[in-house]
Formats: sequence, structure tokens, C-alpha cells
Amino acid sequence: MKELFRNRLALSGAVIILVLMVMAIAAPFVATHDPTSINIKNALVSPCREHLFGTDMLGRDIFSRIVYAARIALSIGFVAVGIAALIGVFFGSIAGYYGGRLDSIIMRFADIMLCFPAFFLILSVIAIVGPNIFNIMIVIGLTSWMGIARLIRAEILSLKTRDFVSASKALGAGSRFIIMRHLIPNGIAPVLVSFVFGVAGAILTEAGLSFLGLGVQPPNPSWGNIIMEGKAVLGVGWWVILFPGLAILITVLAFNLLGEGLRDALNPRLKR
Amino acid sequence: MRRALLERFPLRKALLKNRDILKIKRPLVFLAVFLFLAPLDPMGLTGLVSPAYAEEASFGDMLVSSSIGDARTLVPILASDSASGDICGLIFNGLVKYDKNINLIGDLASGWEIKDGGLTIIFYLRKDVKWHDGAPFTAKDVKFTYERLIDPQVPTPYSGDFKKVESLKVIDDTTIKVTYREIFSPGLASWGMPIMPEHILKNEDLLTTDFSRNPVGTGPYKFVRWRSGERIDLISNHDYFEQRPYIDRYIYRIIPDPTTMFLELQTEGVDYMGLTPLQYKRQTDTPFFKERFRKFRYPAFGYTYMAFNLKDERFRDKRVRRAINYAVDKEEIIEGVLFGLGRVCTGPFVPESWAYNEDVKPLRYNPDRARKLLKEAGWEDTDNDGWLDKNGEVFEFTIITNQGNDTRKHTAEIMQRRLREIGIKVNIRILEWAVFLNEFVNKRRFEALILGWGLSRDPDCYDIWHSSKTKEGEFNFVGYSNPEVDRLLEEGRGTFDIIKRKAIYREIHQILYDEQPYLFLYVADALPAVHRRFRGIEVAPIGIGHNFINWHVPKREQRYRQ
Repeated sequence: MKELFRNRLALSGAVIILVLMVMAIAAPFVATHDPTSINIKNALVSPCREHLFGTDMLGRDIFSRIVYAARIALSIGFVAVGIAALIGVFFGSIAGYYGGRLDSIIMRFADIMLCFPAFFLILSVIAIVGPNIFNIMIVIGLTSWMGIARLIRAEILSLKTRDFVSASKALGAGSRFIIMRHLIPNGIAPVLVSFVFGVAGAILTEAGLSFLGLGVQPPNPSWGNIIMEGKAVLGVGWWVILFPGLAILITVLAFNLLGEGLRDALNPRLKR
Repeated sequence: MRRALLERFPLRKALLKNRDILKIKRPLVFLAVFLFLAPLDPMGLTGLVSPAYAEEASFGDMLVSSSIGDARTLVPILASDSASGDICGLIFNGLVKYDKNINLIGDLASGWEIKDGGLTIIFYLRKDVKWHDGAPFTAKDVKFTYERLIDPQVPTPYSGDFKKVESLKVIDDTTIKVTYREIFSPGLASWGMPIMPEHILKNEDLLTTDFSRNPVGTGPYKFVRWRSGERIDLISNHDYFEQRPYIDRYIYRIIPDPTTMFLELQTEGVDYMGLTPLQYKRQTDTPFFKERFRKFRYPAFGYTYMAFNLKDERFRDKRVRRAINYAVDKEEIIEGVLFGLGRVCTGPFVPESWAYNEDVKPLRYNPDRARKLLKEAGWEDTDNDGWLDKNGEVFEFTIITNQGNDTRKHTAEIMQRRLREIGIKVNIRILEWAVFLNEFVNKRRFEALILGWGLSRDPDCYDIWHSSKTKEGEFNFVGYSNPEVDRLLEEGRGTFDIIKRKAIYREIHQILYDEQPYLFLYVADALPAVHRRFRGIEVAPIGIGHNFINWHVPKREQRYRQ
């Protein structure tokens, strides 16, 4: 932990994430307007005191929309990667611990999944099941567990030969106990790093999906669909596209900084 | 003009994909840019009268047009989307066409006689017409085309217009006699259907023939090549029977995004496009743009609506449909989404049509009235959760519409908001065009949808409203059935008496607005922009495309050489 906080970049990433989370939770208090209220007479107002980030083509306040969109972005990020982590840790630890044919089957399956271009796989699945927030979370989760599975498997492969595992076995512990109690807790560090990077990736994926119209559906705002709206009015309203773009940039950057910081902090070889 | 993709519609009607450029498949005109009895936007015309206008017309140069969607087939009787229709309109001719003032004149026919009170039409064909491959055009080609049109094996959406034909006789090479079983008032206009060459297609299956990607016609332009999803190239037909077109080449570029298309226009990579209202209002008044382009504005011959699925129990109640209309501010949509470039639609006809009933007044925005009507129909917020309910079920429905049309999407969003204010929960789903049509519209899998109709000049709208037209793929997809309307529709197409027809269609207009099977939304304007180097553009009631073969570019301004 100390290492982490000594790293200024990682610290700033963590602070930004914290601010974003507070903003998302307190969205009704932070937002200055109803994010879905339409007011044609106020369409495409440039940023001013009343509308901090201006308004879009239907006169909706962009600042408020971005604030509410943070809720969606963060929840999709965390839930989707949470699902991925659960699946990944489950399959990875089984494969690593039992090895043999089971390992081959699971890891070849992971390889197959990795072969699909993830974004297009997600796109086509969403097109079939229909776009809504829950489907997006689940689909992103189901298509991004492979990296985590590989990481935890590698950790467990080395951990399971250690003496404390043998000792545990000698004392009569069952496989499940060993995996849950000894292997996963000791091998979770790289997963944690991967989790943080994963959240950034999931937020980007959601923005991409929403940009293509297959993500969060109107009237709910999402950074991606605000940008999509902004594309059509780029020539007359730069603010519609700029601010949600910045929001994505800053959020993804923050998660990446935190992720890098975590990786360094958890890497024993970098310890001074 | 060339932005809408239409699919599966009869000769005179089209499902409109894009609202801004209402695009009808019309084998009757070229370029399908319609101007209808409307003044041009004065801004579009400033600087129009330049000395260069009087310059002598010269051959050469190329026009690059643009479309959101690619063509599907160039077999004209199967072409039902607007992109295919645009290209077929330049390659093929019908027997008749509309002139610039919307009167039917001869095209491949030099004249005709109507006999037996309208039951018989005798067409006299031009003798000087040759197919692009040099073979002469004769009456046999017309007979061949007719036989394909009524062949049950050929899935053409236009067959309905020819089912009333009792017989078609070839009298000699240039004379044809068509006899109708009963009076069919849209009959003459239906012969605007493009004629196909018998000598090439005689033994071909129209569905699989190579002709669909390599057509041979009689029109002012000849087919050169088609790169799927990219462009279609045409070259002028020097032997065209009217005259050699001045513009030598015509390129049809497929650019699926209006913003990208607009950028291409500004860099002069495209000479011709349909502007969105936003582009028209806010992005084209720069000196840069005005120097290079002329923009036009005129009401398009079609309207946009939200259709209710009348099979849905909730929408079967007329009070509910009327309430939803009261809850939606049509003016707001026109102001916000069309930037004022359109008018409120009051029924199945546009104000320019002679069938239009100006006594029908639109239901004005009145949310209190809407709440009252819904209450009468049994919808009330009994549990105070903000949503109306009845028998424990919340009033919630989904509006679907097609992708690539921001106007429709924004319309849906405004409606969603306004309906939320009276307690109706609306979801919006945007679908890809082909999926939208094939899986949802044609299979009736929707609660409500936003779509547009392109209309014919003839007000016959039998296919849309008659209760017999509700089968899969047919156009009465809302399932509207009203014996009174059925009777009027049959009467309307069964007489030539324009005064009688006028009375009939005015009544249909009144009934349909009263019943609200659609929430009639707006009639949008067409907003084409054309590069200034093109001269000879003549604005007429039918549009600007009618004299395309006379458009020309002065020699020194020509940009493309061969």
C-alpha cells in the first residue's frame, strides 16, 4: 500500500476515480438539470453559466448528462469486469490446480475465445440479444475473462508445488479448501491489476457500443451516445463531442494510472 | 434525394428511410429529386442569375452524386429501394412519364388513346428507340415486361397495378392495346413502369440473372460498372432518343453517413447530396459554401408517422391513440428536429395533393386532454409510481425505427419525453434498416414504429389502408380495417371522375385523421444541394431532376476529363 501511495501518478488516478465515484453516486445533487429533459428552444447552447458544458440538439444539458453517464460507465465497468473476474478465477484456478486434460480443455477454450475479435463478438451478440445495460455488462463480462484465467492459472501452477500447499494436503485439506484458502488469496495480486485495467477497457467498450447505437439506449445518457449525437453537430457545436470525450479520456487514464501503480507496488522485484 | 433506402413498395409508394429527403421510387422521372409547387428558398437562389447562365451548353464533365445506401438490384421491376430506383431511372424508360408540371406525357410511347370510357388504352410507341446494345425497342418488350410483372414467380412489389389488366395485345411493332377488366384510375400512370429488353431477358430468371448487375436499357445513361458498397458508374447514351445528355458521366457514390457525406461535399468530392435540416440551416450559409453550391428547398411528396400496431389491445382503443397524439407536440418536433423545415401532417395526403382535405385540423398539443382521454380508457396511475396502469399493468411500449436517420431518432426521443410526462413509459430501439423491415415491420413484431411514406401523385392509397393488404410483407402492417374506408378506397380507384375522387379522398383523409391508426407527424422538405458549375437546372413543380439531361457545365468550368 505504501508503495502505491508513494507513486504520485497512481495516487492521482485513485483520486480521480474516487471523485468520479462520488459524482456518480451523488448524480442527482451534482447535476444541474434533468438529464433527459428536452427543451427545443435551448438547443445547441454553447457552454455558459447556466449550462456548464452547453446543450445538445434537443436542448438537454450536457454536464448533467455526463454526470449521469458516469453512473452507467462505472457500473458497467465494475460489474462487467467483476463477472469476468469471477469466471476467470474459477476456470483459471481449476485449470491450474487439477492440470491434465481438464487444464487443456479449459485453456484451449480460452484460446478459442481469445481468437475472436472481442469487440465484434460483443457487437454481434448485442445485436441479437438486444441492447440494454444488463446485457452489455454480461456480454462484456463473458468475453473478457480469458486474460484473468491465464494469470491465475500461471500463479497457481507455481503455488501448488510450494511446501505450504503440501503441508495443507498432508493435514488432510480438500482441494476446494486449498484452492479457496491458499491458492487464490496468494495468487490474486496480478488479477487485481488486471481488474483495474479491465475496468478501463470495459468503459471504452461501452462507449464504443453506445457510439454505434448498440449500447445504452435513449433517453439514458452514456458518454458514447452523447458523442454519437455530437458527431452530427460537430460543425456547429464542438462542445457536444468534446466534453464526453474528455470524460472518457480522463476516466480511462485514471484507471490505467492506478493499474500501473498497483502493478509496480505488487511486483516484489521492484521493491526497494 | 439520394439518401433514402426504400424497400418493397409498390410503384407509387415507398417506405422512406430518411425523412429529410423523401424519396420515392418513381420510374417516371429522372434523378428523383422532387420539387412540388413550392417556392425555392430565396437564400438558395441568391447569385443564381449569373452571366455564365447564358453560356452555350457544352458536353462533358461528370456529376458525382451520393447516397446513404447501396442499390440492391438493377432489374427495374424488382428495384424497390430508392438507390436502385435512382439508377434504374437513368438507365430505363417507361411508356409514360410526368413532365415538370406533373402531367403525364409520353416517354417510350409517342402518344396514346383512351377508349371505352377508360377500359382500353392504345399506346403508340416511338419508332426511333434503341436498346443500349443496339437492338431496336419494340412492342414485344412491353409485352414481355407486363408478363413478368404479373408472373406470380416474380416477387415484384408493383404487380398490384397490373392485376386489373384483362389483356395486353401487341397489334404491331409499335402499337399496343391494353384492356382493363374494370375502371382503374391509376392505370395510365402505372405504365411509367420501366420497360425491360425481351431479347436479353427472355430466358433468364429475374432473381438470379446477371442483368441485375449489368443492365441494358433505353435511357439517357448506360451502365458501366458497379463496385458494391462503393460506387456505380454510368456513361451518357449518345444515341438517346430525346437528345444526347450534356453531362458525360454520372457517378453514384455510396457514403453511409450524412456527416461524412457533407464533408465530402465541402471538399467537392461530391457534387450533389440531400442536406439534413441541421446542415441546411446552420452549416451552409457560409460564403465558402455559397460560392460552391446552390441549395434548394421544397416540400417532399411524403410524410413521416408513428404507426400503432392495432393488434395490440391497448392501441385498439381509439381514445388511447388520440390521447397519444394530444400528448405529443408536433410543432415542437418540427421546430426541434426539422429546424422548421417542414409542416404538420394531418393525414395520408400532403398539402400539395389535390386529395388533401384542408378542413382536417391537427390535434394540438394538449396533455390535460390526453390524460383525460386515457382516464376514460381506464388508464390511471393507481399506485402513484408515476406511470399509468390498468389491471396492474404499466402502460409501457417500445418505439422502433431505423438506424442512420437522426431525425427519426430525435423524434422518438422527444415523444418519449412527452409521453413520460403523462405517465406512459416508452422505450426506443434503433434497428438496422433491413432487419427493421424484414424482421419487425413485415412480421408485425412491433408495438409502435416511426417510418415514412413516399407518395404517388395519384392519391390512391389502397395498399396502405385496405383491410385486404395486411398479409406479411404488405403495406397495411398496422392491421387497419374499416369497411367504410375499404369501400371508399375501392370507389376511389374505380372512377376517372376527378370531382368524385376528390370527395372520396377528402373523406378518407377525414376518417383516418379521426381514427388515428397512425400518429401523423410531419411533412418534411427536400433539401438538395448541387454544385454551382452545373447550369440549366430548372426548378419546377416536380422537382429539379426532371431535366437532368439538359444540365450542363460550361467548358472552362469542367473538372473531369476523360
